[in-house]
Amino acid sequence: MSIPESHLAQEAIAALVDGELSGGAAGRAARHLAGCLQCRLAVSAQREAKAALQVPEDVAVPGDLMSRLRAIPFTAEMSPGGPTASLEVGADGLTATGPRGAFSFPLAAPASPAPRPGQARWLRRGMTGALIGLGVGVVVLAVSLPSGDLPVDDATSPVANAVRHPVPDDERTEIVPPVVRTLTVGSTAPLPSGGTP
Amino acid sequence: MAPTWEQVVREHSARVYRLAYRLSGNQQDAEDLTQETFVRVFRSLADFSPGTFEGWLHRITTNLFLDMVRRRQRIRFDALPEDTERLPGTSPSPEQVYTDTHLDPQVQAALDALSPEFRVAVVLCDIEGLTYEEIAATLGIKLGTVRSRIHRGRVQLREALAHLAPRRGADAEASTR
Repeated sequence: MSIPESHLAQEAIAALVDGELSGGAAGRAARHLAGCLQCRLAVSAQREAKAALQVPEDVAVPGDLMSRLRAIPFTAEMSPGGPTASLEVGADGLTATGPRGAFSFPLAAPASPAPRPGQARWLRRGMTGALIGLGVGVVVLAVSLPSGDLPVDDATSPVANAVRHPVPDDERTEIVPPVVRTLTVGSTAPLPSGGTP
Repeated sequence: MAPTWEQVVREHSARVYRLAYRLSGNQQDAEDLTQETFVRVFRSLADFSPGTFEGWLHRITTNLFLDMVRRRQRIRFDALPEDTERLPGTSPSPEQVYTDTHLDPQVQAALDALSPEFRVAVVLCDIEGLTYEEIAATLGIKLGTVRSRIHRGRVQLREALAHLAPRRGADAEASTR
């Protein structure tokens, strides 16, 4: 067995450790390593660094971050240049047309009985759900705001109007000043439901 | 049975947050990066082209991280020397790092010592488990560049760890006396 003379390229050493060398190249590398201490050390150094980054447990997402992420549909401002895409509901689903072309989200579950394990399709449906949920939420908000069953004597008070606003997430309530809060306590009118999908 | 935004968040937030923490090395930046990633996802749902959702998330998170780093480098460059002390020194305590991420604080510190481009490549490879091809697509760089960044990143990481480790040894020695 002859040992290839030249040492392994640095890129090849990394690729070897990650199993990213093709069969032929991996074979040549293995033959070289068998006779070359220097390259063996370089490979084990790469392995050590890789191993140092392996973590058994997962990271927990802080609870308040989770609430902020959930509230994004209500708190995020859309792009300043207006919507980047238009949405259209057709027979085969929802079609979003954006700068990168049209992309369609199937509205109904695909007829194929055995979906691939890949998640793309699931996610596309997820997007549909998110978009539809959002749309419904917005419509419910729009409908319920002006026609909310306000008590007659309070109907003209701007404060009462503010109170009647559906509050989409817990964080929002922090903004409501204390005076308004006391009004809320006495109010018996139910808040419009359905604002939060 | 269509998943809602809530489910998208539940399904993917841990992965995005972990990546953001490994890249930024502290909770504040990790939270900001995660939040911004999901805001971008929400805003550009229509731009999502077929491909994996995970790949999309990786791309947004790493690009936001690199943007953040470049912005701070610019600020640092523009700042007067006496102002540099006031720039956010965001290193958390070692205990905090472990509580937050379960990653050995020395390893996170070594990771933080890498240049951002190397750090991104190494984290995507060794923590997120992406293939070289996926990393190349995520970062928009050539396969050869991926290989060399990973190699050099790991070499730097190991040097940083070796630099940090003797101190640990010395501390242990000192405490036995």
